[in-house]
Amino acid sequence: MILWRQIKNALFTALCSGSVLFLAATLMIFLLPMLWKGSQAVFFRKTVEFDKMQMELFKRGRPEDLERIIARTNAARQEALALLEHFSRGIDTALLSKEVKAAYQQFGRHLRYLEVSNDEYARLREQAKDIRDAFLQALETTDKTEAESLLDTVDAQRTNPRFQNSPFEVVFSLSEQYRQILEEMDLSRRSEYAAELDIVKTEMRKLFGPLPGESIPPLPQDRFGATRWDTAQKHLQYLIYQTKWVPSGKDDNRLIPRQIRRDDPDEGIFGKTELAPLFSMVEQNLAAMLQPRPTFYWRYFLDDSTAGHYFGGVGPEVLGTLLLTVLSMCFAVPLGVLSAAYLVEYAADGITTRIIRTCINTLAGVPSIVYGLFGLAFFVLLAGKPSILSASLTLGLLVLPVIIRASEEAIRAVPQSYKEASLALGAGKFRTFLTVTLPAAGPGILTGIILSLSRAAGETAPILFAGAVALGPIPDIGLHLQWLFQPTRALSYGCYDITVGDRLAMQVPHNQFGMVMTLILLVLLLNSAAIVLRWRMSKKMQGL
Amino acid sequence: MTVRSGKTVLFFIGLTLWAAQPVLAAEGKTLQIDGSTTVGPLGDAFAEVFKELHPDVSITVKKTGSGDGAAALIDGRCDIAMMSRFMKDKEFQQAVEKGVFPVAHVIAMDGVCVVVHPSNPITELRTEQIRDIYMGKITNWKELGGPDIPIVPVSRDTSSGTYESFHSLVMHNEKMAANVEYVNSNPQAHARVRSTPGAIGYVGIGFLDRYVKALKVDGVMPTRSTISKGIYPISRPLFLFTNGYPKLGSIIHAFCTFYLTEKGQEIIEAKGFVPVTEY
Amino acid sequence: MTTAGSQSDAAVQFTRPLRLTFRDDLSSTLLSWFVKSFLFAVTFCSVAAVFLIFVFVIRQAAPFFAESGISPRERITEFFTSRRWFPEHQVHPEYGILAIIAGSFYVTITSLLIAVPTGLLAAVFLSDIASFRIRQICKPLIEILAAIPSVAYGVFAVMVAAPWLQKKFEFPTGTNALNASIILSIMAMPTIISVAEDALTAVGREIREASYGLGATRAETLLRVVIPAAHSGILAAVILGMMRAVGETMVVWMASGNATQIPSPWWDLSQSVRTMTATIAGELGEVPQGTIHFHSLFAIGLVLLIFTFCLNLLSEHFIMQMKKPKR
Repeated sequence: MILWRQIKNALFTALCSGSVLFLAATLMIFLLPMLWKGSQAVFFRKTVEFDKMQMELFKRGRPEDLERIIARTNAARQEALALLEHFSRGIDTALLSKEVKAAYQQFGRHLRYLEVSNDEYARLREQAKDIRDAFLQALETTDKTEAESLLDTVDAQRTNPRFQNSPFEVVFSLSEQYRQILEEMDLSRRSEYAAELDIVKTEMRKLFGPLPGESIPPLPQDRFGATRWDTAQKHLQYLIYQTKWVPSGKDDNRLIPRQIRRDDPDEGIFGKTELAPLFSMVEQNLAAMLQPRPTFYWRYFLDDSTAGHYFGGVGPEVLGTLLLTVLSMCFAVPLGVLSAAYLVEYAADGITTRIIRTCINTLAGVPSIVYGLFGLAFFVLLAGKPSILSASLTLGLLVLPVIIRASEEAIRAVPQSYKEASLALGAGKFRTFLTVTLPAAGPGILTGIILSLSRAAGETAPILFAGAVALGPIPDIGLHLQWLFQPTRALSYGCYDITVGDRLAMQVPHNQFGMVMTLILLVLLLNSAAIVLRWRMSKKMQGL
Repeated sequence: MTVRSGKTVLFFIGLTLWAAQPVLAAEGKTLQIDGSTTVGPLGDAFAEVFKELHPDVSITVKKTGSGDGAAALIDGRCDIAMMSRFMKDKEFQQAVEKGVFPVAHVIAMDGVCVVVHPSNPITELRTEQIRDIYMGKITNWKELGGPDIPIVPVSRDTSSGTYESFHSLVMHNEKMAANVEYVNSNPQAHARVRSTPGAIGYVGIGFLDRYVKALKVDGVMPTRSTISKGIYPISRPLFLFTNGYPKLGSIIHAFCTFYLTEKGQEIIEAKGFVPVTEY
Repeated sequence: MTTAGSQSDAAVQFTRPLRLTFRDDLSSTLLSWFVKSFLFAVTFCSVAAVFLIFVFVIRQAAPFFAESGISPRERITEFFTSRRWFPEHQVHPEYGILAIIAGSFYVTITSLLIAVPTGLLAAVFLSDIASFRIRQICKPLIEILAAIPSVAYGVFAVMVAAPWLQKKFEFPTGTNALNASIILSIMAMPTIISVAEDALTAVGREIREASYGLGATRAETLLRVVIPAAHSGILAAVILGMMRAVGETMVVWMASGNATQIPSPWWDLSQSVRTMTATIAGELGEVPQGTIHFHSLFAIGLVLLIFTFCLNLLSEHFIMQMKKPKR
């Protein structure tokens, strides 16, 4: 009998301890992956492309060092890139067609300044257009005889005096080039190769940046290769392996992925072509081509980012969050501390006080999205458009009850003797409060402020409609106060947007986790400060 | 102690602001662009190139849906509205009432591609079949010749222009079933289909990649040529709306005609959309 | 005495008599009255804020119920009994939030089912079983759990938990009611733990000592005496946890799938649901101001506000009961 009770006792104790351990485990399961993956945004192995990007976008690094490393990597890449270029000359006719089209355009301009009659002008343009179209069709077709006959029609116009010594002359040398290629290549497989070659070229661009001979792409994310070693490895896999979805063989009617090496002599599409050595070349020499080194990108927390957070850091978001929280404190702290003063010192135990307390509790319990609704309905309609001001007012309202509660607790904890001593010396009630009680309650109030800072920093729903944007200018802080009426980026909203809202961001998961990690670190920092403060305070109180 | 910690806090805030100095932008003209998440990547890309060409203009791009873009233009909250659908009658009327005269600029063509997980052996569907899936009449892939897994239909939320195009061209304005999951943006729809073997969803053509498989709709594969010629059943133009035709030479005019430049065309192609013209 | 007297004359000198003049008295009385009213006004701002919140939400929600052409009674009936939510349909929009309320309900109740037992056990541990040192370690742990922003939990739910759930349990979709409930329970637990712990410590030593004196084991004391004695505080904890779960937005928006349906069969948590908070957050940013859809979202907000307000009053009642001195 007694044993059974002891067993129950032990079981219960075990359950209770187990639940706390479960909580601790949950915290670890949550924090560790997020912080680990987020730290990849700050600690990683960078490549030479990263240095190039830093130099161009952020103007950092020493040009001479960069030149040296670039020279080394270029030497390593040369052979592979040359192989690619030579092979694609026959398959990928984009360059040739571009040159033909450019020649036609320039010829058009040339004609405009030539002294010819209107009829002749129209006729010449017509002729040039026919030649251009014939050439372009020759580039598209997969039938060798057709291509050759089209080229013949092109070359027939070679002797036309109007075309000689004009920009259009280059078309004829291009047709010569193309004839040579036609002799070397098997046109019938061209479309097959073209699609795969396109993928190979895209992956090479993702690894090494724009290929030689290509123009500088307008978007920054295309201008550089793989800036991180882990991204480079990923693209290497995409380069070498082709994923074919084949029936699984079981009767569940699904497809399963099969990885085939592109240079596989039997099944790989380029196995029997002269492009085959490229893959093993890149695979074995990738380190020499990219020069990976470990780095500590601490500027991640300060840098601006390019569109989609592809490059760069979370600087503007951190600044936005700081602005919003500090401003909201400016609204909430005076209101909160003074309210707490009233509640402790002056309030009588009547119905008014009951109502006030109920209202403060209600404010604490209102869901954050309703704060967002209120912020939209009240502040935004007042100010006209979402802005830092409306967002921080909403946040201030959100943390007001927290500050009131913390201040009240802190003020109540001040020993009566302090107050009585001050009153005995002749100070008035409010003066006592200002000069004696408030400083004594200071650490407690400060703890409350820090905790509500962390709460305000993490809230998203209130600022969704009241002032947060995903991509916007960094507020220009100055005395002119114009910046109060601009919307801003913020860490909390940025975390949401980067996880579900942005396509580019999906390609840089380390940045996604990096932003979340920054938010978590900020909150943890603030909370640890509060905990330490409270611990020191309790030690002081104990020593009293 | 309070005063000292207060001073420390202020010091750190000041330090952060000072350290953030190189990161702060200059004051200047502003351009506010709101609207569709489909056109959003184009708006972002244009804005970024624009920043280099016109460094004194600060551009803000907000991507919350075509409906909100229209509303923002009507309220005067933005200068340019990106929309992946034309303005509705009600929106036009509201605009005119408020003295806003919307002008549409077509900057690119887009196709709404129906996508499934790559492990799904289905390669094409008819519009009626897609409609039946989203209305809940077909609930398992085996009814279409696929594996025996339940279909998870994913749709864009109802304020999206992509949803509108899908709704009118495929659903023929029928209401969707209750078990359809709603996501708020193209990338989210893509992520759902990518991670769920039984999912079916629809995204703009700019979001096709190796992780999802586009289906042929009524026998037509969404490609550049089928979309630009209108052969693909669910193709649509992408718009920028402004209040009246922008003044020649103004920033808004430059932005709205940027798609005509070679750089603009390159960006449109780089983002996976179909340029309106051949250059 | 004389020397002391002469010394005291030199040491203490008053610049004016110790008696207050009428002016001094009046001015200090006025000043203190002024200070008191100023402080009262400042405190009343909180009341004003609550009042304003209600007023503005009701103002924006009213046009939904009072749309011309449809009787308010019809509207309200459809609102609360219809499962079909198609506010943007051109021809025949429907505004029924039964499925959405059910979604909130599912997610909240499930998260409480997980959080309340665990939280209560943890609170018991902290109040009765743990030593001072362990409590010093556990308190910050709980606080950190409470402090982590909801959007961070949301990112975790979408990027880590959803794929894992999908793979491990072969669910058709990883963003479902179960995912959201689990994360919500982690978020509600710190609230439940702290309030329940307060309630348990407020029971006092006498009751515990009486029980131990009768020979009960610790488990029996806790289960049969302390917890029942603290029942009002524990109920308050549960209600506060419920408030936290109902009002949470980001996690459910990202992790629950947002399908406007009541799962069928009703116990199947692996299906996607939609909550009131996610509906508001997801649709408000894109709805033109002034449309019926806009006002209907505020109407949902009003329902949410009234519900949490009632829960608040209830929890306050229980907390006051807890704080009442025990016999």
